[in-house]
Amino acid sequence: MRLLLTACLLGFWLPGLGQRVVLPDGEYMDTTSTWQSACRLKPTTRYYNVNGKYPRSSDTLREQAQALLQRGDHTYSGSGYVTFRFIVDCTGRRLPRTQVLQTDAQFRRYRFRPELVEALYAYLNTLTDWHVARSPNGQETANYIACMAFKISNGKVVAVCP
Amino acid sequence: MEKSWPCALNLLLGLLLTAHLGSCQPATSQAPPDKCSRRTYQDSLVARYIEHGAQQYSYLDPRWTQCCDSLIAICPNIAVAYREKAIPLIKDDKFEEAFALENKAVALDPKQWLAYRGFLKCIFAKDYEGAIIDFQGAARLTPNGFEMDHTYPFFEGLCNLELGRYARAKADFERDMQQQRGPDGKRDIHFNTLFYVGVLHYEMKQYEPAATYLGRYLSIYPQHPDANYYLALVHRAQRNEPLAKRHLELARQALTQGYQLNEDNTYYSNYPHQITAYEVEAALLPATAKQVR
Repeated sequence: MRLLLTACLLGFWLPGLGQRVVLPDGEYMDTTSTWQSACRLKPTTRYYNVNGKYPRSSDTLREQAQALLQRGDHTYSGSGYVTFRFIVDCTGRRLPRTQVLQTDAQFRRYRFRPELVEALYAYLNTLTDWHVARSPNGQETANYIACMAFKISNGKVVAVCP
Repeated sequence: MEKSWPCALNLLLGLLLTAHLGSCQPATSQAPPDKCSRRTYQDSLVARYIEHGAQQYSYLDPRWTQCCDSLIAICPNIAVAYREKAIPLIKDDKFEEAFALENKAVALDPKQWLAYRGFLKCIFAKDYEGAIIDFQGAARLTPNGFEMDHTYPFFEGLCNLELGRYARAKADFERDMQQQRGPDGKRDIHFNTLFYVGVLHYEMKQYEPAATYLGRYLSIYPQHPDANYYLALVHRAQRNEPLAKRHLELARQALTQGYQLNEDNTYYSNYPHQITAYEVEAALLPATAKQVR
């Protein structure tokens, strides 16, 4: 009986959360770790050490993300930040494992409605032009940790960091 | 015997390293409050745990945080420890943790850290309203102060520009330029003030002054991709397509050669109105191709 109840609860609960998983070190949109063998043994650095900001202006990213939000039927709410952190591997492919951090506009912990977070994550998944990190002589490649934060004001994307 | 020297040297280096790292081991007890309030004691702790501690490592090294935590454990009233601990967090967009620490630093020493928090809000978090409040507060504490090579009104101008409050931004940049010129009115204006005043005029559709400011900027730094890009948009708005295309080509060339907006923190964060090759290529596309795109 308990198993049946648990299964029912999970059946109702999981679709609402999408793939979000809460681990001891934070909340994740996806926990799949699929390294390409060529990158597995490469060093991992930060985006700012390898000129790894996504190659679009913050204004372009904001316009595109907001356009995607407007495409659906939803009306979103809340103000603050939704930040995704992930690894871009040595071939320029973003790995699925993605941490999500959320704060209100005063940088205090907060939770937006899952639909908004899912929509922003869907936008993140459309970004496929990540930079390939190379050593100064161009011979070696590396993986890097990157992030993208969406500043939300009353349910609208008003800025994208970095 | 020949091999014993390297061994002894390794042992000595190991002992020195252990002793050095020991300086940032977690503190076992907090110092008495009266001791922590003494400036000389504070300075000695900052020298030990920050200057000869955290700052001996990369801020991505766990020992950076460990040194800051040790200092906080001994004297929790030293603002710089919180600010230093926040550095790797802000660069990772971990805003909750970073700003909790920045807020603590500001609460302990607002005169030192309020403008810096405003800078982080403006450039890293793009919290323009919050940044303006911080810079206005900082100006009350330190009139005519500077942060990251710029006046406080410069950052207020950036924030108001991004918020679309153009009249306020214009007034801010005028105060910025007045402060930079100094009492004798003869000092140079920072080149990025010229750039942003040019961008502001472009956004206000005041194309003549926009072209003047961006042109002045390019006379100092001809390879600046962003100034070439916005000057191209000015020329396009003035229906001078050949000149627009020429500056877009210059912007493309400059970006290919690695030139970019000349500010220290562009590695970490895009500055307001900063562009990339994508925007230049989009502007170079013929109108018909843009519709398809």
